[in-house]
Amino acid sequence: MQYAQAIFTNAAIYVIAALGLAIFTGHTGLFSLGHAAFMAVGGYAAAILTYFLGWSLIPALAVGVVAAVLVSLVIGYPTLRAKLRSDYFAIATLGFGEAVKVLLENLQLTQASRGLPGIEKLAGPLNTAVFLIITVVLCRNFLNSTYGRKIIAIGQDPVAAEMIGIKLLPNQVLSLAISAAFSGLSGGLLAHYITFIQPAIFSMDLSSLLTAGVVAGGMGSLTGPIVAIALFIVIPELFRGLALWRLVLYGVVLVIIINFRPKGLFGYEELNFDNLPKLFTIIGLTIGLTIAASLAKMFSATLGRVPAILIAALVALALTVALGYLGKLLAKWLRSPFGSFGQMLGSGYNHIVQTLQDKAVCFRNRDLPKLRELMNMVVEPSRMVSAQNSRKEPVLSIKSLSKRFGGVVAVDEFDLDVYEGELVGLIGPNGSGKTTVFNLISGYYPVSGGTITYRGEDLTKKAPTAIVLGGISRTFQNIRLFSSMTVLQNVTTALHDASNYSLLEAFVQWPWTVRATEERLKETAMELLKLVELEEYADRVANTLPYGLQRKLEIARALALRPRLLMLDEPAAGMNPQESQELVELIRRIHVAKDLTILLIEHHMDVVMNLCQRIAVINFGKKIAEGAPEQIQNDPLVLEAYLGEKVEDVVAS
Amino acid sequence: MIFQTIITGLSIGSIYALMAVGYSLVFSVLNFSNFAHGAVITLGAYIAWALMVSVFKMSFFPALLLSMLGAGIIAFFVERIAYSTLRHRRAPSLFLMISAMGVAIALQNVLYATVGANLYALPPIFTQDTFSIGAATISRMDIFAFVFSVIAIALLTIVLNYTKVGTAIRAASYDSEMVSVLGVNLDVLVAVLFLLAGSLGGMAGVFMGIKYMVYPSMGWITNKAYIGAVIGGLGSLPGAIVGGILLGLLESLVSVTVIGSVHLSTFRDVFSFGILVLLLVFRPTGLFGRHVEEKL
Repeated sequence: MQYAQAIFTNAAIYVIAALGLAIFTGHTGLFSLGHAAFMAVGGYAAAILTYFLGWSLIPALAVGVVAAVLVSLVIGYPTLRAKLRSDYFAIATLGFGEAVKVLLENLQLTQASRGLPGIEKLAGPLNTAVFLIITVVLCRNFLNSTYGRKIIAIGQDPVAAEMIGIKLLPNQVLSLAISAAFSGLSGGLLAHYITFIQPAIFSMDLSSLLTAGVVAGGMGSLTGPIVAIALFIVIPELFRGLALWRLVLYGVVLVIIINFRPKGLFGYEELNFDNLPKLFTIIGLTIGLTIAASLAKMFSATLGRVPAILIAALVALALTVALGYLGKLLAKWLRSPFGSFGQMLGSGYNHIVQTLQDKAVCFRNRDLPKLRELMNMVVEPSRMVSAQNSRKEPVLSIKSLSKRFGGVVAVDEFDLDVYEGELVGLIGPNGSGKTTVFNLISGYYPVSGGTITYRGEDLTKKAPTAIVLGGISRTFQNIRLFSSMTVLQNVTTALHDASNYSLLEAFVQWPWTVRATEERLKETAMELLKLVELEEYADRVANTLPYGLQRKLEIARALALRPRLLMLDEPAAGMNPQESQELVELIRRIHVAKDLTILLIEHHMDVVMNLCQRIAVINFGKKIAEGAPEQIQNDPLVLEAYLGEKVEDVVAS
Repeated sequence: MIFQTIITGLSIGSIYALMAVGYSLVFSVLNFSNFAHGAVITLGAYIAWALMVSVFKMSFFPALLLSMLGAGIIAFFVERIAYSTLRHRRAPSLFLMISAMGVAIALQNVLYATVGANLYALPPIFTQDTFSIGAATISRMDIFAFVFSVIAIALLTIVLNYTKVGTAIRAASYDSEMVSVLGVNLDVLVAVLFLLAGSLGGMAGVFMGIKYMVYPSMGWITNKAYIGAVIGGLGSLPGAIVGGILLGLLESLVSVTVIGSVHLSTFRDVFSFGILVLLLVFRPTGLFGRHVEEKL
């Protein structure tokens, strides 16, 4: 029993650190190979306080956590700001990890490589279990909040994240800090469980163990790293004499997983009834192998080696299959009772919240003005005067805009004015610079010359995120959705600006602030999905949608940002005539319902001619024509740009 | 005193350079940091130990050649097993690096689990190991390692510049896809690449083994060589050489520096890893590197 407790405590401590790493590496996609250093900082800080100053465990751990967070800011801010290549970033963290270890080996305060022996044993299975549960709950809460979604979005597509107004640096630093906090906690617990601390514990091997856990368990998951680390710790313990091969196992598993199953065991999924059989199979395999090992030893004396191993293998296989089947059965039996139980709990919970809210003002739902504004735009028909009346001042005014990439002039002295409520088309042959104009307006590229003014403000000096939140959102020519999120999550992520609970509340998830806000975010997102007719796909993973629907989802996501100017980049690309006809209807609908100004890039001429009140034609970065659709259709320069022939020749033939 | 420091710096620096060249060769074509190189170097040293001490009693030169060959073959197999699938799938370079880490952990710990954690000495090449010039005492081994490293790197430069395979490797470092379209078998080219890098690593391993000891975690020192490669600019051969030697010199200078009553020697490794982090943040291309955007 004592032995089992020891294994459990050990595993739990490492699982806490791995969950921390999962928040950073698993969800931002940035690899840290120096997380052992955060454990070291947390562990040493806590150990020094209990060892020299006689503090009790909890305050010492708290200081350790704070120390780890501070160190993570010092290392994280400059390295993340530099936007390194992902492998360079990983190496920088590795260098940091080694530097911390070597520093500890030489510091007198921490008694150099001897470390601190004989720390009081303050951590045991019980309080470690409590800390593990707290860690799991906090991580889960964080990931299910606006803050967590921002980080997940950055991990899935940093460009798209920035283009929906999510700042990269602060969110990445935040996720590293949270991750360091849990690693620090784990380090503190470790020191007080094994009752000593030495620099040698926090070597690269430990960092690699955590990384291996996150990679093998699966990116974008909390369940995965828990299972993987538990296996890494438990399996070698079960096979006595395999302890030396433990690290070989991590290494081999790392190679196999990254080569053949980059998704890991539970990539982008959490434990639910669908993958319960998988979990049981894994457990079955572990138990099966353990029993098989002792069986093989037992029988090899009487039956000879080969038959003994055969029997053992058969037993292991049988156990694996049996447990997998048991998992399937359990999932089947438990699904409906669990569902109704959950519903019961949910309604009881809502009832309590409702009573609380009725009783006291401080529990009332907060007002979310931005969300209300959005709902009004989506649900109510247009209340404002339509476009024709307000044609005095342009909303967007582009003057002699230029963009050079080295010697290539992609946009050359381009001018365009867009008025309130207009639907303007931007057309031109492939490579003529249309998308570059969008990229310049949205701040993705810095301009080489000229000005872009939006409602009197100069956009060329604003950050992309500020431009988006200022009311200009866009879609992408080559779809950029958050591909592992569900359709609904894609839209709720874009509503990040409308929610107003704090980070602390996100961790605790107060029902009367966070849950209530989340509910309303979901409702709003559903309204947006209804607008683009995707409500039935709300729970589908985004990249499993057909192409045309993904384009619609991009439009819904762009609308969630409450734009006043919407830029659509080839929304009908790859659609058949019927689909593009539906798209025309959709764009008309949102144009009226949301009272938008729309700028549209499109190659399907029927779409452009049908929709746009005014069209600008661009070729080789220069504007060659502008006017009403009929005008454009007969413009000789436009015909030449598209057909590549002199007009005389066309007329002559 | 300073003369002595420079000699020590040059000799360790030349071994760094020998290892750094292996990193840079692989990086120049495959665009990832091959962290398994340290394990290959370690295995090279163990092969020499087996040949010279534990199994056979070979003399130095045949053992050196066989160790180089052995390390080269191991590097080749590492590529086959751990990288070729990813390479064919065009996985991001980060994946290759993680795979390399896995190999490094596995190989190093196979040594722990089989040969054990003992330290073994390789026989010295020279009976009387030191001589003096003026006030400086110089180890013959240091000079030998320096000269040999220089010869090996010179040979590599000749191979790269004057042979067909070398030309193909250099071309592939600019655009491996184009090279394969032009009819070069990329798999063969990569195999040659790993053989070259591995055998140079094997040589470095043998020198390290003679200078220090042979033990499973001796591959850790290759982190320093890697820093040398980053200083010079990953993917650049002259960069790897200059960077490796520069780091060796800097380290030996730091080791003898005393500020107030603090001997900086204890913080030598902190200094090296500090350089690594700072360089990656402020000048990831190092001294000679060209900036390669990540292949995604």
